[in-house]
Amino acid sequence: MGTLIKQELYKLVHKKGTWIAIVFMLATQVCFALLRKAFPKFFLLTSLVSNDYLGGGLYLFIMIASAASIIAMEFQYGTVKQLLYRQYYRSQVFISKLIVLIIQLVVLQVLASLMTFNLTALLFPSFNWGMAVGGGQTLLQQYFLAMGGNALVNLLLLSVVILIATLLKTNAAAITSGFIGYFISMAASSVLLALISRWHWLRFNPFTMLMTSSQIMTPKLSTITLMSTPLMITLTVAYTILFTFIAYFSFRKRSV
Amino acid sequence: MANLLSVQQLDKSFGNHRVLHGVSFEVATGHIVALVGPNGAGKSTIMKAILGLIPTDGGRLTINSQPVSITSHQALKQVGALIEYPGIYPFLTGKQHLKLFANKTQRTENIDAIVAALGMGRYIDHKAKSYSLGMKQKLGIAQALVNRPKLVILDEPMNGLDPQAVKDLRDYIRQLADQGTSFLISSHILSELEKLADDVLILNHGKIVQQSSMNDLVTSGGTSYLISTTDDVAAKDHLRRAGIQLAPTEKITLRQQEGQTLNQALNILVSAKIEITDIVKVQHDLEESFLDMVNTKKEDN
Ligand SMILES: Nc1ncnc2c1ncn2[C@@H]1O[C@H](COP(=O)(O)OP(=O)(O)OP(=O)(O)O)[C@@H](O)[C@H]1O
Ligand SMILES: [Mg+2]
Repeated sequence: MGTLIKQELYKLVHKKGTWIAIVFMLATQVCFALLRKAFPKFFLLTSLVSNDYLGGGLYLFIMIASAASIIAMEFQYGTVKQLLYRQYYRSQVFISKLIVLIIQLVVLQVLASLMTFNLTALLFPSFNWGMAVGGGQTLLQQYFLAMGGNALVNLLLLSVVILIATLLKTNAAAITSGFIGYFISMAASSVLLALISRWHWLRFNPFTMLMTSSQIMTPKLSTITLMSTPLMITLTVAYTILFTFIAYFSFRKRSV
Repeated sequence: MANLLSVQQLDKSFGNHRVLHGVSFEVATGHIVALVGPNGAGKSTIMKAILGLIPTDGGRLTINSQPVSITSHQALKQVGALIEYPGIYPFLTGKQHLKLFANKTQRTENIDAIVAALGMGRYIDHKAKSYSLGMKQKLGIAQALVNRPKLVILDEPMNGLDPQAVKDLRDYIRQLADQGTSFLISSHILSELEKLADDVLILNHGKIVQQSSMNDLVTSGGTSYLISTTDDVAAKDHLRRAGIQLAPTEKITLRQQEGQTLNQALNILVSAKIEITDIVKVQHDLEESFLDMVNTKKEDN
């Protein structure tokens, strides 16, 4: 298993795209921090900071692309046979890929956060992380709370992307459907809420769980999602596990 | 000598389509076994089953007495393979591919040895996306061989290789086999296999129709004569009526069964006043055995 993880990491770090994406994310953060410095009126500093100077949204896109390609590329390049005929099992191969994705996710989040802290300290030294915000929390606490909520939702999205990737033949197709799926589900959220208010049982569908992070930050949302925050968190995790299992079975069934 | 690979009564269907029918054979330690058969006969399917890549419907596979199946891969530790076409990551160099799959022990030595043996030194540090067909093929073979496995399975390894590369590969495979590596090789280039393999398996419609050593196969086929006349159709007719066996080919192909066959045939043609324009003596080779086997099968159907 250690060998498999090392092999996946080897492939990841030797892909140019991995590094381009990181540089792009960090550069975007610097850009927005400088923009805020130059035009203080256009941006609200607290909201820029809590979004990692837009790095947070970018790293989700990077992860969607990465999750789609870590599975789909093996089929596209015909390397899947080499991967699977060794002494390892398909489950081990699959799990090693999941682990590498989680490592990548953590690394990206840590980089984005470090950049946020440094940029803030450097350009906005008077920014007060200890400032009290609603709910008896400080800005710093809220920052980490948002990070946790986003991680939950991101993992749910990624499990769906992985599932799609096991069904498709090429990298590009898997990445594109991941992005399209993401935008559709985001755009559909207001429609979804309207539907939930009509048919209450609809609230348990997986798309609602994309709002888990928002509800963690704004507990009042429970009046329209019709679910308590702990229930939503549980369901989000449950759906993530479910989709990952389906993805595994689809990966296992796939002929090589 | 012990058998490294044993395949017993292997059955496989894809949906309703039965692809393998009770395939049984063995690969002895240090032997090179050729697996030949027409397109779609099931060669790649057998290889995938041995590698635990596809579920099977029956039968028993063992490598070094350890069972292999899609859920039991332990024995595959000692196996290297190239199936159908090489899998290549375009963003890695050839060297990086080998590093990726090479075991830790003697990594550098093994990589350098295989690169030298296949003559890949000139481009091994270039990105694989710039490789030609033959370069990719060599890289695929190198990945199969780099860990010095006990059993090597190569599916059409000569694909796209130039004559020099084919010879280099043949020599290297022979050398490894002499050191105790076993090979199962499929190919449509029968003349190559004839020079290389110790044993032959002929597969047709998912059944093994012939299994013997290369030597036996080639000598048992014996000699044939290819006779040309001004009227082949009439000539065939006269010969058949006289009870002489002809191979099912368009030309008049006569099997030399006992010493007299050729004389007898010529007598018949001469007395029938058919003009003989040419006689060619053909030593039976793998290609002919193969075509015989496969064509007999067709006539049976
Ligand atoms: N995944 C699959 N699904 C359905 N049928 C398959 C599958 N793989 C192979 N087959 C069928 O099994 C038969 C044997 O295929 P196989 O690839 O083993 O042939 P082969 O002997 O390797 O042929 P070739 O010389 O062309 O490589 C063919 O009829 C093929 O259509
Ligand atoms: Mg084949």
